[in-house]
Amino acid sequence: MDLNESPEHRAYRARVRAWFEQHRPGSLDTFEDRRAWHRTLYDAGFVGMGWPKAYGGQDASPIEQAIVGEEMVRAQVPGTINALGIGFIGPTLIAHGTEAQKQRYVKKILTAEELWCQLYSEPGSGSDLASLKTTAVRDGDHYVVNGQKVWSSQAYNADYAILLARTDPTAPKHKGISYFILDMRAPGVDVRRLKQITGSSEFCEEFLTDVRIPVENRIGEEGQGWELAQTTLGFERGGNLLARVTAHKLTINRLIEVCKTLPRNGGVAIDDPLVRQKIGKMLAEVEVLRYAGLRLLSKLEKGQRPGPESSVDKLYYSEMDKRHQELILEILGPFGQLFEGGPPEVALNLRSTREDEGSWAYNYLWSRAGTIYSGSSEIQKNIIGERVLKLPREPRADRMARA
Amino acid sequence: MDFDFTEEQLMLRGLARELLTAECPPTEVRAQMEDARGYSPSLWRQLAETGLLGIAVDEAHGGQALGMVELALVLEEMGRAAYPGPYLPTVVLAASALAAGGSRAQLDRYLTGIADGSVVATLALMEDRLAAGPEGIELRARAQGGEYVLTGHKRFVPFGHVADLILVAARTSEATDPRAGVTIFALDRDTPGISHQPNVQIDLTNKTSTLTLENVRVGADAVVGQVDGGWKILDGVLRRASVAAAAVMLGSARKCMELSVEYAKVREQFGQPIGTFQAIKHACAEMLVEVENAHGATYYAAWALDAAAPDAAFAASVAKSYVGEAARKVCGSAIQVHGGIGFTWEYDLHLYFKQAKLLEALYGDAEHHREQVLTEILAPAAVPALA
Ligand SMILES: Cc1cc2nc3c(=O)[nH]c(=O)nc-3n(C[C@H](O)[C@H](O)[C@H](O)COP(=O)(O)OP(=O)(O)OC[C@H]3O[C@@H](n4cnc5c(N)ncnc54)[C@H](O)[C@@H]3O)c2cc1C
Repeated sequence: MDLNESPEHRAYRARVRAWFEQHRPGSLDTFEDRRAWHRTLYDAGFVGMGWPKAYGGQDASPIEQAIVGEEMVRAQVPGTINALGIGFIGPTLIAHGTEAQKQRYVKKILTAEELWCQLYSEPGSGSDLASLKTTAVRDGDHYVVNGQKVWSSQAYNADYAILLARTDPTAPKHKGISYFILDMRAPGVDVRRLKQITGSSEFCEEFLTDVRIPVENRIGEEGQGWELAQTTLGFERGGNLLARVTAHKLTINRLIEVCKTLPRNGGVAIDDPLVRQKIGKMLAEVEVLRYAGLRLLSKLEKGQRPGPESSVDKLYYSEMDKRHQELILEILGPFGQLFEGGPPEVALNLRSTREDEGSWAYNYLWSRAGTIYSGSSEIQKNIIGERVLKLPREPRADRMARA
Repeated sequence: MDFDFTEEQLMLRGLARELLTAECPPTEVRAQMEDARGYSPSLWRQLAETGLLGIAVDEAHGGQALGMVELALVLEEMGRAAYPGPYLPTVVLAASALAAGGSRAQLDRYLTGIADGSVVATLALMEDRLAAGPEGIELRARAQGGEYVLTGHKRFVPFGHVADLILVAARTSEATDPRAGVTIFALDRDTPGISHQPNVQIDLTNKTSTLTLENVRVGADAVVGQVDGGWKILDGVLRRASVAAAAVMLGSARKCMELSVEYAKVREQFGQPIGTFQAIKHACAEMLVEVENAHGATYYAAWALDAAAPDAAFAASVAKSYVGEAARKVCGSAIQVHGGIGFTWEYDLHLYFKQAKLLEALYGDAEHHREQVLTEILAPAAVPALA
């Protein structure tokens, strides 16, 4: 066991930190501003760091990636855009795409010249994704796609999507699905923004009517879509735990600052034992997530890839976030409810990496999402129970039908 | 950056597991439960022979001079076995206090004895105020003609009734800062004026007692470290004790999780193994999350103590507060998963459940350590772990 940062990594961190001190984003009011900042990050070598050099990456080590992730959050600058593309669509293309697909798409994902979204979920198929109904019917050198997708993050902005659609309605449900690259501007793609409980509209629904996708835009073989989707979800759940930790710590630091002036029970909140217990608990729980991040890094550095165990971390951090946002609002009382307009000394005052202005209220609402998307907490527990602890599988109608 | 154990550390863990599996099965735990001494001297000798008693003692006094990580690995195995005996009090509490402040004579006499198994030792810290910090120490030691006279009582002294050596934290002078004026005294078991009242408590395997001192006279050579300077030593001892307790509780929790998963695979109700039911499966999944986190917290803290990392005190408090609650949840959930059999005296789950409960309360409970965590963060030189 040696949890010290090596001298090389300490030096690397110092260089990265210095870079962020020297390079600050200018105005971030428009999406193009965000894209310009993203491009600056890319040119510095901070985007898609682990990807092969041949496709525009850096072949960087997991620790270097983690350091940049942490420093970026610490510098309180917005991160990259094209989150889905960079988080897992690019890696999926690198793993399963043809050489032509890689050459065509990967680098533009990194530079955010082309933005991506993920069209998996349907109104009737969320957790039970393999039940999806959208069809892709072969017609010469095209597939013709019909169906409806929903809750697709950032779809209003996207140039391309990865799409799961059923190519063989007669095959068992996990076998008849294929994986496509969809041009979001193709005729027949109708994107409508949906309003979320936060009040903003980050996700969308799409109506797909006779959309033609060229055959060369299929990733992998026909019928292999489910398998590929499993690997992508794996990338998504891996996440960058340490950057998450840094973000949480910044939030708690700010909470502590606020509590030093927030009046409570004739004194200030930070002197109230109940408040102290809540903050102490949050600090300890975030620290525990840091250790999980270090354990993961230690594995990655040895070339081990976490499998279903990554559900343990996903379950922990998403539930933790929900718990912490609740504690924060308990401490701040009605002030926590404000999106804007309160006394500045009580505001969150941390620049958000999302479109919205950062506020306690927004974070509180947003924390409800993490335990739903990318596999709900219940689904994570099923995965841990069945694939990690090897408990007997749940009898399910779809499995019984196959048996 | 390496969060894995070395070959040597894994061998040590294997050794401890082998010994405890062979010599400390649940039947043995139950036998000690019924025994007034509460531990097996023959197993104690074996622990000495295999080097596990001197594991953290320096080589000059017959030990192996290993660190907190190694100690935690052994303690986790003790948690797995629900080992009943004065290992933590002797090897962690007393040995650390002696190593930090013992005179040459004390080291030669006691530390060597701890390593070779001839000295069972403990630390008497808590009193009526139940504070884990220095404000709880009220027992007076009056200087009188080159001697000290100790009067008062100590509560929850682990294995005090069988300890050959009892380190007592006493107040030798009053000061506004409760950390000042604390002195540690080394008392031999047969010093006149010492008596024990065993506690009747939830955990029957780690016996504690109330220790009463009535005009106990000791020479100045009984002082461990500096007069009035004992808290500095105790602070370090408690830090190690917190991590040690976390390690034992981690072992209990892991064992309870393993028993639950096994049981959920074989116990059938409604025509299927109960592990197919989500309520049970999800309970097991939640146990795994807690156990993995408890592992990270325990071994990070152990490493931080060994490395004298700037966040060592912080990490120790994170570990004690987190693991204490995690172990309680996991061991409790295990009983739920087992249903009626889990509530049965003859079934072993309660052994772990009870040990974890005792350790959750000793050496600072979760509230105490959460307060420490925040205090560390608010300190002028806040821990660098915080970005
Ligand atoms: C903010 C946000 C962003 C999203 N972005 C995207 C995106 O970009 N692309 C995309 O394709 N989708 C996206 N989604 C959709 C997301 O993947 C689904 O919402 C998720 O898979 C859950 O499906 P569902 O909403 O249909 O809920 P359901 O599957 O209907 O689940 C409802 C409840 O039942 C529980 N449940 C379901 N099945 C089981 C089971 N077998 N055992 C136990 N409990 C079960 C669930 O845990 C949940 O509590 C996003 C969702 C959110 C909230």
